[in-house]
Amino acid sequence: MAEIQLKNVSKRWGNFVAVDAFDLAIADEEFLVLLGPSGCGKTTTMRMIAGLEEITDGEIFIGERLVNRLEPKDRDIAMVFQSYGLYPTMSVYENIRFPLKVRRVAKDEHHERVMRAAKMVELTDFLERRPAELSGGQRQRVALARAIVRQPTVFLMDEPLSNLDAKLRVSTRSQIKNLHHELRTTTIYVTHDQIEAMTLADRVVVMNKGVVQQVGTPLEIYDRPANTFVAGFIGSPAMNLIDGTIGDGVFTGQNVTIKGLPATVSGPVTLGFRAEDAAARPDGGGEIAAPIFSLELLGEASMVTVQAGGALVAVKVPKDFAAEIGSAFSAAVPAGICHLFDAESGKRIAV
Amino acid sequence: MTAKTRRRPPVLAVLSTAFIVLWLVLAAFPFLWTLWGSFKVQGDFFSRQDWVNALTGVHTIAETGGPFTGRGYYGAWVTKEFWRAAINTGIVTVSVVLISLTFGTLGGYALSRSPHRYAFWILIAALIFRAMPHITLVSGYLLPFFQLNVWGYLTTAIVVLVAINQPFTLWMLHSFFKSIPKDLDESAMVDGCSRFQAFRMVIIPVMWPGVVTTGLFSFLLAYNDFAVTATLLTQDNQTMVPKIASFLGTTQVQGNVMYAVSAVVSATVPLFLLVLFFQRQIVSGLTAGAVKG
Repeated sequence: MAEIQLKNVSKRWGNFVAVDAFDLAIADEEFLVLLGPSGCGKTTTMRMIAGLEEITDGEIFIGERLVNRLEPKDRDIAMVFQSYGLYPTMSVYENIRFPLKVRRVAKDEHHERVMRAAKMVELTDFLERRPAELSGGQRQRVALARAIVRQPTVFLMDEPLSNLDAKLRVSTRSQIKNLHHELRTTTIYVTHDQIEAMTLADRVVVMNKGVVQQVGTPLEIYDRPANTFVAGFIGSPAMNLIDGTIGDGVFTGQNVTIKGLPATVSGPVTLGFRAEDAAARPDGGGEIAAPIFSLELLGEASMVTVQAGGALVAVKVPKDFAAEIGSAFSAAVPAGICHLFDAESGKRIAV
Repeated sequence: MTAKTRRRPPVLAVLSTAFIVLWLVLAAFPFLWTLWGSFKVQGDFFSRQDWVNALTGVHTIAETGGPFTGRGYYGAWVTKEFWRAAINTGIVTVSVVLISLTFGTLGGYALSRSPHRYAFWILIAALIFRAMPHITLVSGYLLPFFQLNVWGYLTTAIVVLVAINQPFTLWMLHSFFKSIPKDLDESAMVDGCSRFQAFRMVIIPVMWPGVVTTGLFSFLLAYNDFAVTATLLTQDNQTMVPKIASFLGTTQVQGNVMYAVSAVVSATVPLFLLVLFFQRQIVSGLTAGAVKG
């Protein structure tokens, strides 16, 4: 159990900056998720913590120890790989036992600890099988068991669910959540899936192009995105972002007029709101008025898209909402649900 | 019904079976003929009157009193001390295989995991050396070997054979290692292995079919080599292949050619045993699909 500190950690290959001045303290027992699109440097950051990638600049502390120059084996970490990384020549039992064996844990403890780990991930029936004889979900559970058998200081998980099908992903996700609750081990989890990030994380770090965009609890990131990148990445669907100008508290753009915004801001801005916060106004007179571009039934609700402010804007409507594509549509977007971002830098404008 | 419809037409079955039998006979004939002839005397096996003598063994019965004789084997192994050559071959091949595999696995692994560009150029250099005729290594070093007084020893032949063989083992093992995902090394290292432990405890077990296949090819190169062993070894230190050649070289004396025939048979048997014993590993090594987790 320990906290992890990254102090201005950078990774460069030649001129290419993979991770730029990553600065963060991760608390003991915290579940931290690194979230971002592919190539944003999240996996590189994790691999630097694991010791699989050299650190160009900065310092990483695990507990009190500076680990920059330590081998992966000396960092007291366990890692779950995207492709599982199971040893194909060993049985499931031997796979789980391997960390105990190489670290010379007393032999008489092995069996008990392997069985305990196997039980936690419900693998006790498969211990004699080879990895090749297991399904994807079972393989991932072997990888999890191999990580927890040793009770390391830190768990690192590199997109552990991305090779599983959608249904299995949901159940394995809750298994990971439960494991963390039980073991209380500091965990760093890398994913590009914002739903995984939302459901699992104590705190989320959103990254883009090697730069940290925002650090916060899932709710903070959802409710108060720090810039247009985070706003456009988090949520399903992502936040609507429309371009326009603001003056005297009135935002105007293509097909949009929103009143009651703070009068302190003026000039070109990007305005954001979430599809689920807006509502249809069947009687007309809403802030957005445009012909329907498309109408999609999602199951629990429907999604109407219209063109406004140079973008496609989604509005959630009740599932029994019936309209033709092309017919007039009006949506209520009160000033209270709106977020304002600087049109140039994309940064959030505090209101 | 279904079984009947699935069966091939009888004509096709007969034809394909006949073809396979014919092919087997053609392929096995030279060896079977040599094996049979090695138990005859020269007058029969190399008969000038009638080739059927080789089958009936007229002279063999006349000379030895039986249709089969072990004279050729006795002459080669005891009189001409072919056993010395067999031991020498054993020493040379085992040493070449062990040394090539040690350097090959370590070097191939390092090259396959190296992020540097020079790894590629090392492999290209290895390919060039592989393409060179073997004899160039021998002729170029013959004079220095004489001057250094190392000519004629088994060790010298081993070193030269390893040098000839190493580029090939390096290439072959390199591509085997390439096919093993890096994640395997990395998870081993996170689990508590040093780089070398990861190599020894995780990668090599997965690589085993590849190591066996490469080892077998190295074995065959050393075992069958003539150019190096014939020019670099003294009469006493000769291995089997040049020894067999020397039996043939003195055909004026009757019986010697039969020594060569029986020596050839003796030298082939271990190869059969070896391939039979390792066939499973060789097949999976050649198909190389076995390494995927």
